[in-house]
Amino acid sequence: MLRYIIRRLLWMVVLLFLVSLVTFVIFYLLPSADPAVMRAGRQGSPELIERIRHTLGLDKPWPVQYYEYMKAVVLHFDFGYSYQNNSDVREQITSRLPATISLTLGSVILWLSVGLPIGIISAIRRRSRLDRLAMGGALLAISAPVYWLGLVLLYLFANDIGVIKLFPGAGSYEPLTENPGKWFGSLILPWMALAAAFAAFYARMLRSNLIEAMSEDYIRTARAKGLPEWRVVLGHGVRAAITPIVTVLGLDIGILLGGAILTESVFNVPGVGRLAYDAIQHADLPVIQGTVLFGAFFIIVANLVVDIMYAFLDPRVRYT
Amino acid sequence: MSEPLLAVEDLRVRFHTEDGVVGAVDGISYTVERGKVLGIVGESGSGKSVSSLTVMGLSRGSNTDISGRALFEGRDLLTLGSDEMRRVRGNDIAMIFQDPLSSLHPFYKVGKQLVEAIRAHQDVSKEAARTRAAELLALVGIPDPRGRLDNYPHEFSGGMRQRVMIAMALANDPKLLIADEPTTALDVTVQAQILELIGRLREELGMAVIIITHDLGVVAETADEIAVMYAGQIVERAPTDRLFAAPEHPYTWGLLRSIPRLDTPRGEQLVPIAGRPPSLISPPSGCRFHPRCPYARARHAEVVPPLEPVPEDPGHEVACLLEPPTRRALWAALRDGAAPEDARSRIMGDTRAEAMAPVAQPVAAAAESAAPGTTENPT
Amino acid sequence: MRKSLSLAVLAVLAGVLLMALAACGSDSNDKSSSNGSSSGNGSEFNAALPASDQKKGGTLTVPSVESFQHLDPGQAYFQLDYMVDYAVHRSLYYYKPDNSETAVPDLADGDPQVSKDGKTVTVKLKKGIKYGTNKNVPGVTGSEVKAADVKYSFERTSKPSVPNGYVSVYFPFEGGPSKGIETPDDHTLVFHLAKPFGATMAKALVMPITMPIPERYAKKFDADTPNRYDTHPDEQAFTGPYMIQSYSAGKSLTLVRNPNWDGATDTRPAYVDKIVWKMGADPTVRDRQVLDGQNMVNGDTLAGPTVKRAATGAKDQISFSPLGNRYVSLNTQKKPFSDVNVRKAVAAVLDRRAMQLARGGALVGDVATHFLPPGLPGFEEAGGMEGPGFDFLKNQSGDLKVAQDYMKKAGYSSGKYNGPQIVMYGDNASPAKDTTLVVQRGLEQLGFKVKFNQVEHSAFYDTCQTVAKVKDKIDVCANPGWLPDFFDPYAMLNAVFNGEAIVPQNNVNMSLFDDKKINAEMDRAAELTGAERAKAWGEIDKQLTEQVASIPWFWDKQANLQAKNVHGVIAKWNAAWDLSWTSIK
Repeated sequence: MLRYIIRRLLWMVVLLFLVSLVTFVIFYLLPSADPAVMRAGRQGSPELIERIRHTLGLDKPWPVQYYEYMKAVVLHFDFGYSYQNNSDVREQITSRLPATISLTLGSVILWLSVGLPIGIISAIRRRSRLDRLAMGGALLAISAPVYWLGLVLLYLFANDIGVIKLFPGAGSYEPLTENPGKWFGSLILPWMALAAAFAAFYARMLRSNLIEAMSEDYIRTARAKGLPEWRVVLGHGVRAAITPIVTVLGLDIGILLGGAILTESVFNVPGVGRLAYDAIQHADLPVIQGTVLFGAFFIIVANLVVDIMYAFLDPRVRYT
Repeated sequence: MSEPLLAVEDLRVRFHTEDGVVGAVDGISYTVERGKVLGIVGESGSGKSVSSLTVMGLSRGSNTDISGRALFEGRDLLTLGSDEMRRVRGNDIAMIFQDPLSSLHPFYKVGKQLVEAIRAHQDVSKEAARTRAAELLALVGIPDPRGRLDNYPHEFSGGMRQRVMIAMALANDPKLLIADEPTTALDVTVQAQILELIGRLREELGMAVIIITHDLGVVAETADEIAVMYAGQIVERAPTDRLFAAPEHPYTWGLLRSIPRLDTPRGEQLVPIAGRPPSLISPPSGCRFHPRCPYARARHAEVVPPLEPVPEDPGHEVACLLEPPTRRALWAALRDGAAPEDARSRIMGDTRAEAMAPVAQPVAAAAESAAPGTTENPT
Repeated sequence: MRKSLSLAVLAVLAGVLLMALAACGSDSNDKSSSNGSSSGNGSEFNAALPASDQKKGGTLTVPSVESFQHLDPGQAYFQLDYMVDYAVHRSLYYYKPDNSETAVPDLADGDPQVSKDGKTVTVKLKKGIKYGTNKNVPGVTGSEVKAADVKYSFERTSKPSVPNGYVSVYFPFEGGPSKGIETPDDHTLVFHLAKPFGATMAKALVMPITMPIPERYAKKFDADTPNRYDTHPDEQAFTGPYMIQSYSAGKSLTLVRNPNWDGATDTRPAYVDKIVWKMGADPTVRDRQVLDGQNMVNGDTLAGPTVKRAATGAKDQISFSPLGNRYVSLNTQKKPFSDVNVRKAVAAVLDRRAMQLARGGALVGDVATHFLPPGLPGFEEAGGMEGPGFDFLKNQSGDLKVAQDYMKKAGYSSGKYNGPQIVMYGDNASPAKDTTLVVQRGLEQLGFKVKFNQVEHSAFYDTCQTVAKVKDKIDVCANPGWLPDFFDPYAMLNAVFNGEAIVPQNNVNMSLFDDKKINAEMDRAAELTGAERAKAWGEIDKQLTEQVASIPWFWDKQANLQAKNVHGVIAKWNAAWDLSWTSIK
C-alpha cells in the first residue's frame, strides 16, 4: 500500500508538470492580447512596452519562461504576479481558498444529508408516491442550471432583494475566522444552490445502487439472520450501495475545491472559481496557470484519496 | 407420533408481476418431524425455494399473495407479524443458500457477520458473541477459528465459506435448518464434505433439516424423506429409500435418470428430462407434467391428478394419472435401460403421438403455446 | 483610451437574467428603447447632480463586477481605478462633478500660468495640505505636500515599476521629468515643455499622474517590480478626503475618512463616512441589489436588461451620462480604402440604426454623426446631434444609392466593388459581435467579399493596435471605441487620428489615418484655449468626418444606478459616481 501511494504521489508530480506545461503552451501560443501591452495601458510607448516585457520576462523564449515559472513554483512556491490585478497569485489563491473550501464542504454536508436519506427512502419505498415525488423533484433539481437556481434563491429568500427576506444575500460573505455567525448565514443560500443538483444526483445514484444491492444474496442472508429491517437496509444494503458514491464524492469535492465558478459568481463568494473566471476573461496567464494548477492538484489528490479509501471500503480491493 | 415440527398445509404463493400472476407454489403440503431431514427436489422454477422462503417469511411483499398454513410448533408462521417473524428467523429456523460467496456480505469480516447473527437474538456482549462465533467456526470444522474471525469472505475457499454460512445458521441453535441448494456452487469433493457436515450436525444438535436441491443425488444419503416438486406442486413424496427403490412418477424417473451413478454403465448417456419447465403464469392444464411426459395420454391434459397414497407402500404418495401397474412396469423397463419411447410402446402399446393425436389437437396446441419448446417426441 | 468594461462577459450573463426575470413573473416590457435619438441625459431620469440638501454620514456600499487594476495614481487608467484615486488623492486640478468644462484648482492654488510661447506652465500649490496614512509613518504622516512630491510623481514613471503611457503623450517635458520640472520653492512647480503644448498640458493637469507621491516614502516601493505602492494601496500616503483602509485584490476595498484632510482647502464635500467596495459581483444580482436595496450604487457597467427595466420602472434611480464614441476603422493606407470615395461609400451604406439596436438601443447611446461626443467642447461646433451634414452620413439606416454613387466616383462603374477579398477583424462576443455583423452586411451590399476574423476582445485590440499586423494585411477593424483621458477634444481626437501619433505598438490610430493638413491643424489647435479651442477642434472633427478618417456610428451613454436612499452624484467627465459627492439620504 505504501509503495502504491508513493508511486501515485510521484505520478501526481509528473501530471502536475504536464498540466502546467499544457496550460502554459496553450496560453502562450494561442493568439491573445500581449500582456506587456495590456500592462502598459493607454498608448504605452514602444520603449515602455519593451521595458515591461523585459521586466515580466516576456522577451525570453517560452521554454525559458516556463522553466523560470516552474523554478519559482517549485523552489519558492511562488506563482508569479497577476497582469490584471497586479497582485501576488499565490496570495490571491490562498486568500480565496477558505471561501471555496467553506462553500464546498458546507454544500457537501448539505447534499449528503438531504440526498442520501431521500435515496434510501426512495429505494425501499420504490414506486410509491413518495418515491415518484422525490425522483421527479430530483430530475428538476438536476436540470435546473445552478446560475438560474442561484438567482431564484436570491429573489426568493435574500434579505436584500428577496420576496421573503430570510437569509443574507449576495456579497455578504465573511470569513469564518472573522465572524462565524455571518459566515454561516452568508453561505446558506450558496450552499443550497450548489447542493441542489448534487443532492438530487446523489439521491438518484444511491436509490439505484441500493435497489440493486437490496436484491443481492447477502441481503437475503441478513434477513434470514433475523436482523430488523432497518439494520438490513442501513447496515448491509446502504453499506454496499454507498461505496461507489464515496468514489464520486471524492472526485466531486476535488473538482469543487478547484472552484465552483457559477455559484461563487452569483453569490459573490470570493473563491477560487471566481478568480479563475475573471482571469480567463482577462487572459491573465499567471492567475489562470495558478488556478489550473491548484485545481489539478485537488483533483489528482482527490483521485488518490478515493482510490485509497476504496481499499478501506471494499476489502476485496488491494493495491500493490 | 407427536406434533410435527413444521406442517405446511395447502401453501399457495402467487406473485403479481408485469407479465401476469405467477403461481409459484400451488397448494403444497408437507411435514417435517423433529430431528428429521426432508429433501425437496425439483428443477429451478418448480417453487421449491419459494416455498421455503415463504416459511421463513422472506417472500412477503405487496406483490405477493400467500395462503395456506405453515405451522411451526403449532404456530402459523404465515400469520405472524413481521417483528414476530423476525424473531423466528435465524433463531428457530435458519437458512443457508446456494452461493456462499454472494450470500456473505463482502465488506464485513466473517466474525462480525457471525456476531451480528448471534446478537440479533441473544442479549450477549460482543466479546461473548465472538467467543461463541469462534466455537461455531470450530463446530463446522474450520481450523484456527479465532484467527479466521478476522478474515473477509473472499479470503475463504468455497467450501469453507459454506461452512461459515452453516456456522452462522447455527448461531442460535435453530430447531430447523433450511438448506437451499447448499452444495450446488461447490465442487464435487467439497459437496460431499458439506453434506456430511450437515448430517453430522443434525445428529449432534438434533435439529430438523430441509434440503432443497435439483439433484436427487444430494439428498440420497442425507434425507429421511423426499418431496419432488414440479411446477409449483408436489408430485411425489416418499421415504428416501422407497423413492429410490420404487419411484412412481415419470418426472421422478427423469430426475433419477439424470443423476450420475456409480452403477451407471460407462458410455451410457445421462438422460436429461426433455423440454423446459412450464410457465407458471399459465401452467399446462390437467397434469402439469403432461407436455413433457413421454407417457402422457390425451386425457392427461384435462384431468388434474391428486396426490394419492401409493397402494401397498405406506408413506409414499404420488400425483400421476397412469395406473399403478403400468407405472411399475414402465419403471422396471426403464431401470433395465430401455428408452422411454420403447418402454411405452412395449408396455402401453401405443406411441405418444398416437395417444395424444385424436382428441387433443386444440389442447396440445394450448399446451404448446403455454410451454414453448416442448417437443412431442422427446428422445 | 481610458479603459471601460469588457461588455462581452456581461452580455453572456445578462442573457440568463431574462430567464430569471421571467421566472419571477416580472414584466420587462421595454417601450423606451424603440425609437430614436434622444440626447444624452434627458430630464426624465435621475439627474445625479449635487444639491444643497445633501447630508453627511453613513456607509456607502459599491458592488462591482470587475476589479481594480492599478490604484497607484502613477499607473491608473481604468474607470474604476479613477473612481477611487480621486477620492483618496488630490490632483493639481479637479473637475467638479457637474462641470467638466472647467477644472478647478485642487492641490493647486489658482489656475495654471501658461507662458506665451506655450512652452512653460507654472502651478502654485496650496499650503498646509497634509498626508494621511493608515499606519503612522514617521516623516510622512501629517507632513505637508511639497512641489517636489508632484515632481516625483512624474519622475517615478521612468522606473520599470511604474509603467505609465500618459506622460510621454500629454507631458512632453524638455529633457524628461527630472530636468523639465523645476521646483523653485516648496509650493511652486514650473513645467518646461519641449514644444508649445502648454494649453493642452494645462488641461491634462487633472490626471491622476499629478497626485502627489512623496519620494522619501515611495522610493523604496518603486525599487521593486511589482510595486508595493500599487499592490498594497492601503499603504499609500493619501491627500484626499478618504484613505484606503484595507484592500484585498479582486475582493474588497474599504475607504474611511482621512484624518489629515482639511475640508476647508477642498471643494469636495465628502458626505459619507465610509465606503465599502465589493468586487466580483454578478451583474444581474448586483443590479437587483442596488435597485431594491439601501446605501448602494453600482461600481461598474449595468446589465442590459437592468437598464431597460430601470428606465421604465425606476427613472429616479437611473442616470445616463454620455461617454466616448465608437467607430469603424478602414485602413486608409491600403487599397481599396485608401480612396476617400470608397470610404464614403461604406459610410453611406452602413446601417448605423441597426448597429445601435444591436448594441442595446437608444438607452445605451445615440447614433453618432461625427466623432466628438455630446458635452465635449467642440461637439456643438462640429454640428451637434445633427452633425456636419454630409450626404454619406445623412440616412442613419444607410443609403445604398448614395453609396453606389460614391463607388462610381471611385471608379467602380457598376457601383459595386469588384476587387480582391478584404480582411476584417472584430470581436467574437456580443454585443460588439452583433454590430460587426451589420458592418459585414453593409460591405457585402457593396460587393465586397469579406474575410471576417472574429477574435476575443483583447486579441482584437492587440491585433488592430499593432501597425505591422494592420498595415498591409487588415482592411477593416470593425469595433473600436474611445474614451477621452480628460475632458478635452484633444484627448478625444489627437491620439486616434493624428498621423504623427502613430506608434508601432499600442497604436490607437487603427485606420492609420495620416493627413498632413489635419495633423498640422491638430498641433495648432492644441495650443488654443477657450472658445477658440472648441471651435478649432469642432472644425477638425468636421474634416475628419468628411475624410472618413473612420466611420463614427455611436456615442455611448453609461447608465448608473443608485439605491432609493442614495443621492448619487455623477462625475460627468468619468461618467461614473463621484464618491466624494455621493451621499445617503
